[in-house]
Amino acid sequence: MLRPRHSAMMLTEKKRHAKDSIGTLRRIWSFLSDQKGRFAAVVFMVIMSSGLSLLGPYVVGKAIDTYIVTKQTDGFVFVLAILVLIYLSLSLSTFLQNYWMIQIAQRTIYLIRKQLFYHFHQLPIAFFDKRQHGELMSRITNDIENMSQTFNSTVIQVVSSMLTLVGAVCVMLWLSPLLTFVTLLIVPMMYGGMKWITNRTQKRFKEQQQNLGELNGFIEEVISGQKIVKMFSQEKRMIAQFLSKNERLKQSGFWAQTYSGFIPKLMNVLNNVSFALIAGVGGILALKGIISIGVIVIFAEYARQFTRPLNDLANQWNTLLSALAGAERVFEILDVEKEERDETEAISLPEMRGEIAFRHVFFSYDKEQEAIRDVSFSVSPGETVALVGPTGAGKTTIIQLLTRFYDPDRGHIFIDGHDSRSIKRASLRQHMAFVLQDTFLFQGTIRENIRYGRLNASDEEVEEAAKWANAHSFIMKLPNGYDTVLNQDGSGISQGQKQLLAIARAMVANPSILILDEATSNIDTMTELKIQEALGRLMNGRTCFVIAHRLNTIQNADRILVLNEGQLIEQGTHESLLEAKGFYYELYHSYLKKEEIS
Amino acid sequence: MQHVLSYLKPYRKWMIVAWIFMLIELFVELWQPLLMEKIIDHGVISKNLHIIWTWGAVMLGTSLLAFASGIANSFVAAHVGQQYGFDLRKHLFEKIQSFSFANFEQFSTASLITRMTNDVTQMQNMVFMSLRIMLRAPLLVVFGVVMSLFVHVQLALIFVVTVPLLLVFLIWMMNKAAAWFSVVQQALDRVNSVMRENLAGMRLIKAWMRGTYEQERFTKANETLMTRTMSVLRLIETITPVLLFVMNMAIIVILSVGRMEIHTGSATAGQVVAVVNYTTRITTALSIFTFITMAFSRARASAQRISDVFTAQVDIVDDERAHDTNIQEGEVRFDHVSFRYPNSHSFVLKDISFVVRPHETVAILGATGAGKSSLLQLIPRLYDAIEGRVLIDGIDVRQMKQESLRTYIRFVPQDILLFSGTIEDNIRFGKEDASMEDIIQAAKHAQIHETIMKFPKGYDTLIGQKGVNLSGGQKQRLSIARALVGTPKILLLDDSTSALDLKTEGKLLQALKTYTCTTFIVTQKIQTAMEADTIFLLDDGVLLAKGSHNELLQTSDLYRKMVESQFGKKGLGDVKTAT
Repeated sequence: MLRPRHSAMMLTEKKRHAKDSIGTLRRIWSFLSDQKGRFAAVVFMVIMSSGLSLLGPYVVGKAIDTYIVTKQTDGFVFVLAILVLIYLSLSLSTFLQNYWMIQIAQRTIYLIRKQLFYHFHQLPIAFFDKRQHGELMSRITNDIENMSQTFNSTVIQVVSSMLTLVGAVCVMLWLSPLLTFVTLLIVPMMYGGMKWITNRTQKRFKEQQQNLGELNGFIEEVISGQKIVKMFSQEKRMIAQFLSKNERLKQSGFWAQTYSGFIPKLMNVLNNVSFALIAGVGGILALKGIISIGVIVIFAEYARQFTRPLNDLANQWNTLLSALAGAERVFEILDVEKEERDETEAISLPEMRGEIAFRHVFFSYDKEQEAIRDVSFSVSPGETVALVGPTGAGKTTIIQLLTRFYDPDRGHIFIDGHDSRSIKRASLRQHMAFVLQDTFLFQGTIRENIRYGRLNASDEEVEEAAKWANAHSFIMKLPNGYDTVLNQDGSGISQGQKQLLAIARAMVANPSILILDEATSNIDTMTELKIQEALGRLMNGRTCFVIAHRLNTIQNADRILVLNEGQLIEQGTHESLLEAKGFYYELYHSYLKKEEIS
Repeated sequence: MQHVLSYLKPYRKWMIVAWIFMLIELFVELWQPLLMEKIIDHGVISKNLHIIWTWGAVMLGTSLLAFASGIANSFVAAHVGQQYGFDLRKHLFEKIQSFSFANFEQFSTASLITRMTNDVTQMQNMVFMSLRIMLRAPLLVVFGVVMSLFVHVQLALIFVVTVPLLLVFLIWMMNKAAAWFSVVQQALDRVNSVMRENLAGMRLIKAWMRGTYEQERFTKANETLMTRTMSVLRLIETITPVLLFVMNMAIIVILSVGRMEIHTGSATAGQVVAVVNYTTRITTALSIFTFITMAFSRARASAQRISDVFTAQVDIVDDERAHDTNIQEGEVRFDHVSFRYPNSHSFVLKDISFVVRPHETVAILGATGAGKSSLLQLIPRLYDAIEGRVLIDGIDVRQMKQESLRTYIRFVPQDILLFSGTIEDNIRFGKEDASMEDIIQAAKHAQIHETIMKFPKGYDTLIGQKGVNLSGGQKQRLSIARALVGTPKILLLDDSTSALDLKTEGKLLQALKTYTCTTFIVTQKIQTAMEADTIFLLDDGVLLAKGSHNELLQTSDLYRKMVESQFGKKGLGDVKTAT
């Protein structure tokens, strides 16, 4: 559709250009695979509507010549009928080209989104460890939205602008080369004027962009930290800093906006000048009988039809390029290599006893610093093992390897006697359940969140699990019970209650191996007692790995693995380790020592 | 809307100037078809070359005049737009700075940021555009019709029917589209929220092998988005063909009427050409209408969001008679204090009374929702008590200026927030004139100095997105260091040592003892509480018990239970023997 865009707004958009536009276009084209027929139809409609939009004024001009100026009467009704037909087909083809294009564009966007989403699920976890999801999110949201809007309208507009431009020039040349030359006089003027303006605006816009970015960054930070600002009573200082940034933005913004305001004005004046030239020169030519009045009308019409596309083209070309750049960034993500596939001969384990052995396992995240070094231990089915050690000792890494989020650099991990690498990831994780520190809950009902542990669990099983997890009573107190909808941040229920839900989720899964990463704080004592009780039930009879932060969990473990700087330095029961008076002894006593200090 | 637009008042004169320039341009444009008529009728048809030359020159001249006023309009409009944006941003920021904590409950951080950035820009653009094209298009339609009626009434009569009809159609369509757009927005939000959830919870999803389930969920949302977007866009895309068709039919009518009128001699060829030309100009202007209504409704929504901020009532302001008293000792007294949050009915603190002597250390224990953080927040008057009084050194906090009150009270909140910039900047935040020695001293006490020195750039290390990523414990210690600079008289730690291992925490608590300040520590860990002179046990807003560790072991069942839950029964024995 005709969508006038304001140049000022267009230019304030940050322009980033794709590195390989052709390649990106080709890739977008590949998404069209099942719609190429429809696309051909759109192209046909665009050609038709461009042609018709040129034909309309031509017939009107000729009609004016024949029936208005020279006052003929024959066939007037016929010409009118033709005009009605032209205009009807013009509207119809415009409608159809948009109707189909929207479908193509939205379907393409749909496919890109889908592929991206599916791809995320196949990426190795390291990809997410390295990136902040906020940044990823904004990339996806903005870029895809940008693509969507561009493909809806810009593509058609660019094509039809070009067609109209070329068509108009051809017809004009055919009608009157001289008047065409006069009309085209404005093109170099437009080019020169645009160049003059953009030369001046570019620097200003960069400045404005920078100042705006700085100001917005400042706003974002101060408002996010507003409570701190308040607590430290720094409001006045913040206002002073804000004002100087605001002032700078105003200065650069003024010039940027002024200059960009020139562009539509330039277009206007050139329109008007060309109109005047056509009227004046055309009038003289008509007087001399070289052209007819109808030709003047046609030219006046065409001149308008062609300065606009010329103006639009410049703007839309930029929109198109920035959308391409966005597409390129999205494809960049799609090009990140997927998680290693399971080896072809990898096996599935229908049952798992939960026997685990680490044999001389080495691993590093960045190939520089080893996260764990030469770790060996075995766990028998049903045993509870606590991992203890300072931050960065390698506790989490052991879990990551066990679950095959990463594979060891050297050494082997055996599960029920099979090398973990020979077991399908899906099969391996199917027998594991997790209660992690960040009890991630999904937007959805409590029931759905518990059922996440095993999707085919019945409502009864879900409630049974919740009862075992000591979660049932608090769930029943919620306004809609199990159907209470949790927000994404899980607001509305406490941290401790989230833990209980996570336990229920693991309970429903009924795993052979249980992995626990205890929450460190923010849980009140009463809930804590409930959690302990629920965990006791959950852990019963399963192989458990616990990253422990609390003394009583550690004490109740069958075995404690003490890690420091990536090495397994001690293992044994609580008592035996205390007797050994090693690292664990020290660690444990720092819990208690303070009593003596005070 | 009115409130937000009232900031335009100082620029009223400039706006009028901008409009005058805009009108000059408009009239030049509207005059052009008339000039064309003259050239055709009096020049071409009457074979008068002189007329063509003259009017052609007039057309050129007026075009240049229009250009000049267009340029002038750019300057003025940019001036008004930028000044307006500047003022709006300034007042908004100042208003937000005056917000109390209660106000922050009212608006989410993200929404405040959007209001200050997007919404202000939206308004600024609206002002800029209203000085340029927004009024121009409607005026062009109206005057275009008037002028063509002026050229020839019968010829232009068709406009009287089509233009109002099209206007009604446009407005009706835009209203409909606006409603549909919000439905699309919902679908888009849904897609983005599933995407965000998956990115944030990818580890869990992979661990639980729920890829297929999530993909189904996403596909459903994605499909809904696609179909909804398609319907609304298709609705909008009918506007142009209809508009074009109606206006083109008007041209056909004009031609037919024109032919008859010319036959009777009441119209000239030039007049027909002029009216046809007006038609195309009106069509262009009409097609801008969709764009204008969209921009306008967006701006209206922005204006509403901005004025919500302006009209928010700030509940904590300095009393007129408030003094600039500095806190000397740091005695804290609660006198029958009850408190509930502004939007809630249930009290989170009920009739709490206590006195904490200067330099004493108090640990506050209690369940989630027991009122621990609320209690702390009353001390620096982040909220006001509903009943009773909070007194510092014997003075009611409501009679002290907020700034002087908070200068000597340092709060380390549960949610740690650091600013981008260097580590040094962050520690210095609370006291701008702190020396480097002060900063290092605070960092040492907060047990973060050694960590900082391990960074290649030491205190000049940038933190946040552009610099290093600190761990939770490091952030906590840094925010404690920030509070320690500037020798606080009262220090409030709201569970701000949770991510520290016990060894580090022990050292930290030792270091705090060298400060001559009254300290409140909210904690979940008994070991931490044991360090304090007094332990407050809060339960459901009531101060259930207070005393030392040993006293509470004797007197409070709840306390004993808590100790047991953290140390185990065995642990309790250990603690006892250690005592």
